[in-house]
Amino acid sequence: MLPPKFVPLLKEIRVKYQQSTGELVSPVFRNLRSYLGTLVGLSLLDGFALWFIYNLLADGVWFLGIAVFLVTLGINIIFLRKDLYPLRWISPGLALILLLAFYPILFSVYSAFTNYSDGHLLTKEQSINRITQDYYLPEDTETFSWELYRSENGNFALLLTGENGDRYWAKPDQPLEALPGQESPETYDGFVRVSRAESIKYLTEIESIAFGVGEEGVRVKSLSSAAQLQKRFVYNADIDAIIDQKQEIVYYADGDLGSFLSVTGTELFPGYQVAVGLDNFTRLIKSPALSGPFLQVFLWTIVFAFISVVSTFMLGLFLALVLDSPGIPLPKVIRSLLILPYAVPGVILILIWRGLLNPHLGVVNLTLMQWFGWAPAWFSDPFWTKMGILLVNLYLGYPYMMLICSGALKAIPQDVYEAAEVDGANIFQKFFNITLPYLLISVGPLLVSSFSFNFNNFNVIYLFNEGGPPIPNTPTPAGHSDILISYTYRLAFAGERGADYGYAAAIAFVIFIILSLITLFNFRFTRMWEEVSENV
Amino acid sequence: MSKKFSVLLGVVLILSFVLAACQPAPAAEPVSVEEPVAESPTEVVVEEPTTEPTTVPAEETVEEELPVLVIWSDEARAPVLEKLGAAFAEEYGVTIQVQQMGFGDVRDQLKVAGPAGEGPDILVGAHDWLGELTINGLLSPVDLEDKADLFLPAAVDAFMYDGVLYGLPYVTENVAFLRNPELVPDAPQTWSEVAQIAADLEASGVVKQGYIRQDGDPYHFYPILTAFDGYIFNVNENGYDPTDVGIDSEGGLAAGKWLEDMVTNGHVVAAVDYEIMHTMFEQGEAAMMITGPWALDRIRQSGIPYAISEIPSETGVGRPFLGVQGFMISAFSENKLLAQTFLNEYVATEETMLEIFAADPRASAFIPVRDAIEDEDIAAFGKAGEVGMAMPAIPEMSAVWTAFGDAINIVMQGQQPGQEAFENAAAQIRSAIEGN
Repeated sequence: MLPPKFVPLLKEIRVKYQQSTGELVSPVFRNLRSYLGTLVGLSLLDGFALWFIYNLLADGVWFLGIAVFLVTLGINIIFLRKDLYPLRWISPGLALILLLAFYPILFSVYSAFTNYSDGHLLTKEQSINRITQDYYLPEDTETFSWELYRSENGNFALLLTGENGDRYWAKPDQPLEALPGQESPETYDGFVRVSRAESIKYLTEIESIAFGVGEEGVRVKSLSSAAQLQKRFVYNADIDAIIDQKQEIVYYADGDLGSFLSVTGTELFPGYQVAVGLDNFTRLIKSPALSGPFLQVFLWTIVFAFISVVSTFMLGLFLALVLDSPGIPLPKVIRSLLILPYAVPGVILILIWRGLLNPHLGVVNLTLMQWFGWAPAWFSDPFWTKMGILLVNLYLGYPYMMLICSGALKAIPQDVYEAAEVDGANIFQKFFNITLPYLLISVGPLLVSSFSFNFNNFNVIYLFNEGGPPIPNTPTPAGHSDILISYTYRLAFAGERGADYGYAAAIAFVIFIILSLITLFNFRFTRMWEEVSENV
Repeated sequence: MSKKFSVLLGVVLILSFVLAACQPAPAAEPVSVEEPVAESPTEVVVEEPTTEPTTVPAEETVEEELPVLVIWSDEARAPVLEKLGAAFAEEYGVTIQVQQMGFGDVRDQLKVAGPAGEGPDILVGAHDWLGELTINGLLSPVDLEDKADLFLPAAVDAFMYDGVLYGLPYVTENVAFLRNPELVPDAPQTWSEVAQIAADLEASGVVKQGYIRQDGDPYHFYPILTAFDGYIFNVNENGYDPTDVGIDSEGGLAAGKWLEDMVTNGHVVAAVDYEIMHTMFEQGEAAMMITGPWALDRIRQSGIPYAISEIPSETGVGRPFLGVQGFMISAFSENKLLAQTFLNEYVATEETMLEIFAADPRASAFIPVRDAIEDEDIAAFGKAGEVGMAMPAIPEMSAVWTAFGDAINIVMQGQQPGQEAFENAAAQIRSAIEGN
């Protein structure tokens, strides 16, 4: 990377330095090289980031552009300042957290206060551009057939033939010129005739050209026809309205709704994004969804998350204890086999369980039917659906608990057990008074996070039975096994006009608050265990 | 030093990874004739000949920037379009790029890529996307010109939205009534007959279920609803009217009652999905069902005898939903005229429509091809679709699927009588459409 003439010089310095100290590389030299390396690396990163930011801004994604800019700026500062040296090691992680976790959260919170939804995906400018791009054919307007002419320097002209056989020579920004005769000349006015087939590749270029002056301009309508097409909609910035030229209707911009509305209330599509303040939240509060099955769904969410954590923890701990005890043959093999459900994608396992439990063709139910003449209706009975989900989630979740418990068990000091044995404690006393308290100190926070995970465990609920069986007589669709996240998913995406991202973000925000409160409470609870452990 | 540098390199790498993940799908840049089109692994690029057509004068002074037409297509249509594109490129010197993606992905991706100027010129999709796509301003009108008469009127109507045509249709598809002719020799004419035949078959023990249907699923229930004179949205002169919901109309409730009776008598059972319904039919454990041409392959392969007939009626006519697929033009395309020309000159021809049919046999929307189809099964599905109604493309339809599906499930699971369940579904839909 250094210019060649420096190389001998540097070599000389190094050799002298080696002779005097016996060390291989001088600190000065090392610093210089590392500094250069930092600069090169940073400039590469900055160059890339600038290119990326430029593209983002060009696409109008300024929010993400600013985020990328700030993160890059941060990395530069960290790498250029000596006193921030320790931060270098965590800067990749920080950058990732900021861009992949923090930014999306900020963005969804921002979206919760907008009307971002189907019909309001564009910015106002994009929406105006889109609406005003259409042309229409006014009544009593002549349609021409056309032939294309092209000059050497790439200008175009049309030879138009009207319905009654009149012929005109049309060039951009010049009045139409009547042409005598019937034959189309090979060349005219410095233009060369382009064959029909040949003109296809120029269609895109002539698409935007009006041949003629002002309103008289003829536009190519299709491969065979051209006409004096007029702009259907025109935007007037003074009154901030779009005027329908064809039907003479004025559509005023409604900044609260993010749409162009006529006085009679007709709406032009597409609308645009606007900030709507707390509208999404008031809509949620007023929604019949909250007065209806919300409480039932909320309770089941907590019950589901709680039982999932407790059941997986109990089974995981039991297996860990069994595998930990002496005399178990091939513990490693058994442990590896037991971890398998953790290694296979949950989506696949849930679908397999769906198949196994199916009442018509599923192995489990057919076998139960043969043995007992009865099998649970896993998919149509509210109670058994919930049982089925808990069972599947137990299967999916125990390997994780087994893993962390195995680790935590090893960390419990053996002398405490020896002391207990001297005191004559039996196996249950040892478990409840030593193993469990010690275990909960280290595993407690993981149980809390497992609770939060299951609180929003959309996959298992949706893939098992789509939240069903449905609850009868609800104001909005809801199922017996729906948890908050799957229930609100339906609310946000089955409304009047398809996907309503703003509303969905508002709902997600509320769920986030609820979950945070529960998690805070849970942490208080685990801290209690730590206090207990101090007395062990 | 090397340690620090590797950290730096790591940062750059990780960041580029992050950024690459955030980056939208690669856009098709316009390419000039001189340089070959860059090939990325996800796109299939039809190269145009790099030599200029001889008709262009040699003393050309202006460098030509020829347009590239980008088509987003699903797997079944992509090879046909690639072939067409090659021919088009050879004839007119315009490159066609066919980018293949999942059928539904076309719609979802267009919402993001279109406004960013990175979308396609032409997209292949279903007519019931129209509502969602037009309220987002993503589609540009299509003009069939003198070819309009060659298309099935119902298919063209399906691609009309607010009086504007947005697509060139190529296939129509709909469900029909399938039976095992060894068990049910004659096609039942009414749903009461279906109930009777199911009762007889189940009593004699030759099958587990005489008639089988999958859970919920308003799409497959619609023919039964209409057979009893019910409807989802009533039709007025502007098409479907979202303010008139008919699931709880007299006919709708009659359909609900029929379903309830079937459940009470054990002729309709719950916890059946698409897979189970077909497996049971193919194993001879069920004798009658409603399904679509997409299941033909597996039914043929199973070797079970089958016969396809029209949907049974009752007080009304059993009308299946008609799904129409077609070619649409993106509003954000800069080559709209060219796209239109490609569709009218190259796609709306008998040869192309025949190839599309051969790649994925469904009843063609192009009348000359539809009439020439020799596949009896496809023709039978087409016949059942003659009384079909285009699936509503209005966005309000999204409020129907869950609410009505839930109601059907509630009845199938015996939780509630048909009347109560259907009345509640209608109330839920009305409430959702009013914006709650």
